[in-house]
Amino acid sequence: MDFFGPVLDGFGVVLDPTNLLYCLLGVAIGMLIGVLPGLGPAATIAILLPLTYGVEPVTAIIMLAGIFYGAQYGGTITSVLLRIPGEASSVVTVFDGYVLAKQGRAGTALGIAAIGSFIGGTVGIIGLTFLAPVVASFALDFGPPEYTALALLGILLVATISGGSKIKALIAAAFGLFLATVGRDIFTGAERFTFGNLSMADGIDFVPIAMGLFGVGEILYNLEERHRAASAPATVANVWPSRKDLKQASGAIGRGSVLGFFLGILPGGGATIASLAAYAVEKKRAKDPSRFGKGAIEGVAGPETANNAAATSSFIPLLTLGIPANATMAIIFGALLIQGVTPGPQLITEHPDLFWGVVNSMYIGNILLLIMSIPLVGLFVKILRIRAAILAPITALITMLGAYTIRNSMFDVMLVVLFGALGYLMKKFGFEPGPLVLAFVLGSLLESSLRRSLLVLEGDPTGFFTRPISATLLVTFVIVAVWPMIKTVLDKRKKANAVLSDPKVKEKV
Amino acid sequence: MKKQFTRRAMLSMAAATAALSLAACGGNVGGGAAEGATFPSGPVTLTVGQAPGGSTDLIARAAAEGMAEKLGVAMPVVNKPGANGALATQEVAAMKADGQNLVLLNASLITITPLAVSASEAVTLDELDVIGGLSQDDYVMVASTKSGVKSVADLKKSESKLSFGTTGVGTGSQLAQALLLAQGDIKGTIVPFDSGSPALTAVMGNQVQVSTVQLGEAKPQIDAGTVVPLVVFSSERNSFLPDVPTAVEEGYDVPVSQYRAIAAPKGLSAETKTALVDALKAATARDSYKSFNESNMLSPKEISGEEVVTEWNELAAKYKKLTEQYNISLASK
Repeated sequence: MDFFGPVLDGFGVVLDPTNLLYCLLGVAIGMLIGVLPGLGPAATIAILLPLTYGVEPVTAIIMLAGIFYGAQYGGTITSVLLRIPGEASSVVTVFDGYVLAKQGRAGTALGIAAIGSFIGGTVGIIGLTFLAPVVASFALDFGPPEYTALALLGILLVATISGGSKIKALIAAAFGLFLATVGRDIFTGAERFTFGNLSMADGIDFVPIAMGLFGVGEILYNLEERHRAASAPATVANVWPSRKDLKQASGAIGRGSVLGFFLGILPGGGATIASLAAYAVEKKRAKDPSRFGKGAIEGVAGPETANNAAATSSFIPLLTLGIPANATMAIIFGALLIQGVTPGPQLITEHPDLFWGVVNSMYIGNILLLIMSIPLVGLFVKILRIRAAILAPITALITMLGAYTIRNSMFDVMLVVLFGALGYLMKKFGFEPGPLVLAFVLGSLLESSLRRSLLVLEGDPTGFFTRPISATLLVTFVIVAVWPMIKTVLDKRKKANAVLSDPKVKEKV
Repeated sequence: MKKQFTRRAMLSMAAATAALSLAACGGNVGGGAAEGATFPSGPVTLTVGQAPGGSTDLIARAAAEGMAEKLGVAMPVVNKPGANGALATQEVAAMKADGQNLVLLNASLITITPLAVSASEAVTLDELDVIGGLSQDDYVMVASTKSGVKSVADLKKSESKLSFGTTGVGTGSQLAQALLLAQGDIKGTIVPFDSGSPALTAVMGNQVQVSTVQLGEAKPQIDAGTVVPLVVFSSERNSFLPDVPTAVEEGYDVPVSQYRAIAAPKGLSAETKTALVDALKAATARDSYKSFNESNMLSPKEISGEEVVTEWNELAAKYKKLTEQYNISLASK
């Protein structure tokens, strides 16, 4: 009873008309900026912060939270329709989502993503409601060695999820790791591959790389294609996912929810690894893994569900421990301080109305997002009917604007062009940009965590194996890495046995 | 028919997209008004060298709000993160000295970062006209509850080798901690993190035993008892943490704080500078600004531009001398 009282009071808070209005406002803004790559939720919330000074703390946070998880919904749209992932956690959505769109099944992809996002988000909130205090300490148990093991596992998954040639994927991933080393060394302050340019001192941002390789690279490639054969604009066959699609995606949505919820709790990179892991799990489980990368609906459902569940569970460290898990949470942390509320371990006991009001507003917000996104799916898929001659410049404009808004700098726009050219060449020579981008994201996590671990462990690598979480992750790493080899050997032996036994069978007959 | 409708819808959507993005990046236009026009001739842009949402950005936005009101023009805040703020500062310093472009300065960029990076990247105040100081943000050293460390004396006595988290290379956190360890002859491993939040999280989980972070970040955890405050690095006790001794009281010569100020390109006309100084004074006098400082644990330090230059240059010299005296290199470890 003690538990449910405040929870129900929280619903009372949410159903207040002002709060409902701000919730709607938040998710609508979030969805809109999610569609725009570059201008992320963090920057938007910082700009809109003054709007919240005059309202109640709970109302303010309901709106800001809405912007954050609303943006996760919007991000899918550009990934699927235009092949431009707005953030690292939607890179894997591009693999199958864009192919589905090209096959005329954009509606299916977006519909499944919306449903998956809704379920993932809701599972995340239920987890947040019942498990928050229990799982919060999980975030504290993750020290540098654990992040090292997680990043290693993530990079291995990058290698397994790519569809084409393994060697080309490895080359692309290695180049991604190399790009991650650009910038001022955060341990020594030494300049690495910056060529004395201050714009490179903080390294290269994710957005210009992803926008360039995926978006601009695709535009350039299509320009060339159209000279060969005038390809008809994709027909938009079925706008809604069929019952069969739903059935096919249901397992992926379930697994994505759980993976996303737990990995999302980890500050720094949780959502990206969650979406990556969800994709890898679906591919491993599939009867026919070769469908992935060619329009498998689970390839959209899994990661999209996972990144939304992760977005929700990333509130757990903030609301229960007072740790902001990502840049957006850091700003919400600041917003709470300005409102005179101290985000920290005492938040639940000192401000139960705020805690439960915000948590419960997410149920409503997710329903609002689902209601908004379903009709929008119908609208957005029409974009694909637009002739490439018009759509391509618009896509290019969105990518350039997106790159510019990160730091208000033309340097990043130049980078988009540069990576666009690289993306075009990669596509022409059969390299996929996915492994490069994901390895780039995980590379800096791996490097800094490894060096930090070795400092903490005083240079003793056995320390990785004496800590339970990092040991488990590393053992998983070894199994995932070695299993395909063992399997090949076993298969060969089986085949050899079969060949050997065959003549005997004949003899007996 | 239908096709055409879609096309129009797309175009208007693209236009809306463009408008939103322009609005979001602050509309950095204006500036180029007619020669000889009186100040301000259009919006005054305040550039911040840090990402949106961080403490520096929030301070800039709080100050800009009041200054805009006094000046009677919009004062958009534009974030140009890069190289600890060096990128933004150099860019603004190279602009026309008409007062239409300002930059928010972090003292550490002038006083501490030069100790960690090569001379060509170091930023000095010579190319800037400082309008005025804003506030002081203090560093506090905190220990994990599991470490059993409750004071600086405990650090000296500790049998096991401790790890010390910092918020990054070339920061006040790194300098303050390095000086304390050197002066107290305390053995330990320095572990740099990307920013304050992961350094604090690592202490909460006892991944490192001690970290030095900014007070605003650590205060909620100190209040909740999840971390133990050891010492603050301001020269006098911090009013938000009156029970915690300063490093100076403990016998260490480590006066390190973060200060912030607003500056313009060098060569402002006297009238323009007066107008900006008055606007800044009006902004910092507002109740909303004062309560902003209070809720973010910032101590007001609203000194004149000349005082900022003197104090920061003195600090830079002092830090340089101290690091040489104790043979500390911020760049190598």
